[in-house]
Amino acid sequence: MEIVYNGEWYWAATLGRILIASGFMAALLALFGYIKGSLGEGNESWKSFARKAYWVHIISFLGVIVLIYVLLFNYRYEFQYVWKYLNNEMPTSLKFASFWGGQEGGFLLWMFWHLVLSILILRKRGKWEGPVMTFMSAIQASLACMLLGIYFGDYQFGLDPFLLLRESPDYIGLPWTRNADYLTSLPLFSNGQGLNPLLQNYWMVIHPPTLFLGFASTSVPFAFALAGLWKKQYIEWMRPATPWAFFGIMILGTGILMGGAWAYEALSFGGFWAWDPVENSSLVPWILLVGGAHLLMVNRTKVTSVFSALFLIVGSHLLIVYSTFLTKSGILGDTSVHSFVDSGILPQLLMYLLVFAGIATLMMIKSTKERWLLSGMFAVLFIVGLVGQAVIPVIIYLLLLGILLIKAYRKDIPRPKVEEELWSREFWIFIGSMVLLAAAIHISFQTSINVYNKLLEPFEGLFTSLHESTNWEFAKTLADHSFAPNTDYKESYHVVQVPLAFLFIMLIGFTQFLKYKKTNVKQFLKKIARSFAAAAVLFLIVLMWASFTPSDFPVAALVFACIFAVTANFDYLVSIAKGKWDKSGASIAHIGFALVIFGAVISTSQSDIISQNQIGNIQELNEDLNNREDILLMQNDTLPMGEYFISYTNRFIDGIHYKFEVQYFENIPKAYKKDQVVYYGGMVFEAKEDHVAGRNFIEEMAENWRRIDFPNQRHAKEAVRWVNGTPGDSLFTLAPRIQLNEQMGNAPEPDTRHFLGQDVYTHLKWARLKEPETDEDGYLEGRSHDVHVGDSMLVSNILVTFDDIEAVADSEKTANNLLPNDIALKVNMTLNEKGREKQISPLWIVRDSLIVPDLYEIEDWGLKTLVNRFDPMSQTINLTMWEHKSIRRDFIVMQAVVFPQINILWIGCLIMVLGTGLAVRHRIHLARKSANKDN
Amino acid sequence: MNKTTIVLIVLIAVVVGTFIASFTGASTSVGFEEAFDNPGKEFKVSGTLDQTKPVIYDPQVNTQLTTFHLIDHDGVVQEVKLKKSKPTGLEQSEELHLYGQVENGAFYANEMLMKCPSKYDENNHLLETAEASNR
Repeated sequence: MEIVYNGEWYWAATLGRILIASGFMAALLALFGYIKGSLGEGNESWKSFARKAYWVHIISFLGVIVLIYVLLFNYRYEFQYVWKYLNNEMPTSLKFASFWGGQEGGFLLWMFWHLVLSILILRKRGKWEGPVMTFMSAIQASLACMLLGIYFGDYQFGLDPFLLLRESPDYIGLPWTRNADYLTSLPLFSNGQGLNPLLQNYWMVIHPPTLFLGFASTSVPFAFALAGLWKKQYIEWMRPATPWAFFGIMILGTGILMGGAWAYEALSFGGFWAWDPVENSSLVPWILLVGGAHLLMVNRTKVTSVFSALFLIVGSHLLIVYSTFLTKSGILGDTSVHSFVDSGILPQLLMYLLVFAGIATLMMIKSTKERWLLSGMFAVLFIVGLVGQAVIPVIIYLLLLGILLIKAYRKDIPRPKVEEELWSREFWIFIGSMVLLAAAIHISFQTSINVYNKLLEPFEGLFTSLHESTNWEFAKTLADHSFAPNTDYKESYHVVQVPLAFLFIMLIGFTQFLKYKKTNVKQFLKKIARSFAAAAVLFLIVLMWASFTPSDFPVAALVFACIFAVTANFDYLVSIAKGKWDKSGASIAHIGFALVIFGAVISTSQSDIISQNQIGNIQELNEDLNNREDILLMQNDTLPMGEYFISYTNRFIDGIHYKFEVQYFENIPKAYKKDQVVYYGGMVFEAKEDHVAGRNFIEEMAENWRRIDFPNQRHAKEAVRWVNGTPGDSLFTLAPRIQLNEQMGNAPEPDTRHFLGQDVYTHLKWARLKEPETDEDGYLEGRSHDVHVGDSMLVSNILVTFDDIEAVADSEKTANNLLPNDIALKVNMTLNEKGREKQISPLWIVRDSLIVPDLYEIEDWGLKTLVNRFDPMSQTINLTMWEHKSIRRDFIVMQAVVFPQINILWIGCLIMVLGTGLAVRHRIHLARKSANKDN
Repeated sequence: MNKTTIVLIVLIAVVVGTFIASFTGASTSVGFEEAFDNPGKEFKVSGTLDQTKPVIYDPQVNTQLTTFHLIDHDGVVQEVKLKKSKPTGLEQSEELHLYGQVENGAFYANEMLMKCPSKYDENNHLLETAEASNR
């Protein structure tokens, strides 16, 4: 019998599914109509049919989006999507963001931007409408089917955003799903789970829409490229596609940098860029798009590098899909911090990717007969892949595509009749785009390591036998197919990316001064000479301020290239573009880009971890267990850190955050007199001359201090701990925090102080959130110490000094409750806390060659101790100290990093966006002019 | 030979070079046995946290050392010294990927990636408990 569920909005699920299905069907009809309408000379009635179908598609999906927002704003928690990404506590702005909290919403957002962009194309109705919209419809149909949520047996085709929780495969059949009042009777449906608190900030509101608009805007040049290939108009598509490509550069670039800013401001990655696979996978399409857009510009007037332009534009979109595949399929699982868990749409995304790669390659083949033949071969491979083993057909398919691309490059795509001049703008732009391609390929290789592992899987047996027969080590490695990414960015990314960036940015500097077709070399050199000279001077200034080691040579060269690119483009702006907006876009964007890289390189290469640890016996720690990154702050202690003194003063809960306030004070450098004695790291030093302390003792040790190997009485008496200064006025307070996150586990979030010239970025590495465990008397877990005579240790605030050991005389034994034959040692120690002093003498007792533990309690001090061992050879004792919870002091472990000149990066971003915007405007203008000419 | 061809050859050389570099530079995932057979060489070892043994992080002694036990995929249990402060969520992790080498008879990890339980599983768990309380 059908159950009538009370209060459930089942109608919304039905409506939503109908809208998705009709939207999908309409996209298919539009696709069919546009194909028919674009064949040959074009057919207006088919086109008009397709247009109508596409409008149905648009309205359906806008309906889907509106409906989901209606559900969100009405808190319909019976829907899985609403329940997962919304809760009652989220503010309105985040309610908007919960729409794209999950993959389904991500696809819808992507489709939404496609809809907006295709409306712009539809409104133009130019000669490109038909073929371009063919491919846009195909893309939309493919994306729509990811949301169908239809089951073929066990295989789920698409994710249904309108799935009710009770229908979800995990609950279906459970008793509560047959309870008609489940919505009111189950408390779980009164509130949702809500967005992961990590995502609950304003970046979540602005970053995904920007990034997805960037993704969507690569689809338009892609569709134009395929349209041009289809109509065999290899050049003509470029002019209308150029503004779209530059628009994509602007938006996608903004989206990527916003992601970086988000990571920097709100997540504890320790910087703005971590070469995370997800970051990389939106960077790579952007890089290709930059290369492609520049080649589109070059090809505008004459045939130069059509194939490369096509390759980069098509590659850019396909890599967007590939990046979606990487992040959503879960294949990255264990290498990325923000990838999704495998949701079962991996095969669908893979199909999309392979099919579109196939279509793009097929289109490059000129002969229709060959196209049909190849389509047949592809179909056979797909069937084999679907029915049997998938990996080998995929590999054969990819190889086939590679061969076809080479054939297309040599035979089918038009090539320049005469070779370009060496000193022409088009040649160097071509070089630049090839440099970009190399950079993109390298990043993709690094990111895709898990993909090779999957591709190598079926060859396990082959490589194992190869290893056995040839003893070739590498074959065994291949057979294991368990490659793992290198964790050292320097080794894996910077070693290749820095030189490529150097080349590329040098090209940015001088290419604008070259003319199309042919340039007078002498004049050209004269023109760039002054920018070069200016850059050299500025570079010297940077060198005086920054510290580069010889191994930093590539980085320093990159810094020079950035400066050169800025001066050269500035010169171009002033002397050639003469401030005319129309001509200035490129130069402004180039300056912005160079500043972004400059800021990134300077702030990371010159970043300084100032939170060196001050407590703990430095000698004891071996070199590898480096103690140089994090600072341990006892509450209310004031310690020097970098150019500050800091003090951890307070902790409190603020909403979902546990905040730890750290106050920063001015550091007034301390002056040392000649012959003054200090100790540092367990050694004693004497000042050579009067001097003012530098920041770091190690750095200035050789210059200012003489080590005293055998300190005399005077030294011992006068020695004070070396400090670089004394705390002055309070400057500011930072509150690095821990987000209390039940879903994902507590997560640290940074707090940063921004200055014009640098940022002080701090985040917690450890803090106690719960009360520590104690025994029934209130003592905390004991700590064991190994000490020599003369050693001191700090227990809470109490300085405990181990003075000496003496045997307990026979006469004193009875008083100490000892037996006459006992061997007993008195361990004399002094406790000292803020002037208060106490002598204690716990015992170490051996009775009949057994050690008798003798717990020694010092009640009014909140301490107890037990001597565990005595080693007469080294005169060392081992003892355990327990501190009472009443004297415990709270502490945190924090990392602080100074990023110098990071503001240049953000300013560069703004300049780049502005410049690209101007370029887009200029390109739209040019495209319109040529369209008018055509008509 | 024309200039474009030269550029393409250089490009292919760079690509092949980075391909080889990314394969040889990538550390390989192994069990403890192999890591202990090749001390000093960097490996990736994956496994799960041994919940029966304590995770020790004592910042008062060393802020940059976390000691715990890992069960690798072959079931071998070894003590791991992670040269970092204790990562949040370590106890909740489902899988750990350690990058490090054997030094002086102990596995020192320079870097660690954690795979934490997916939100999705937790949802199921939540609902199941609700379900149980409802019956």
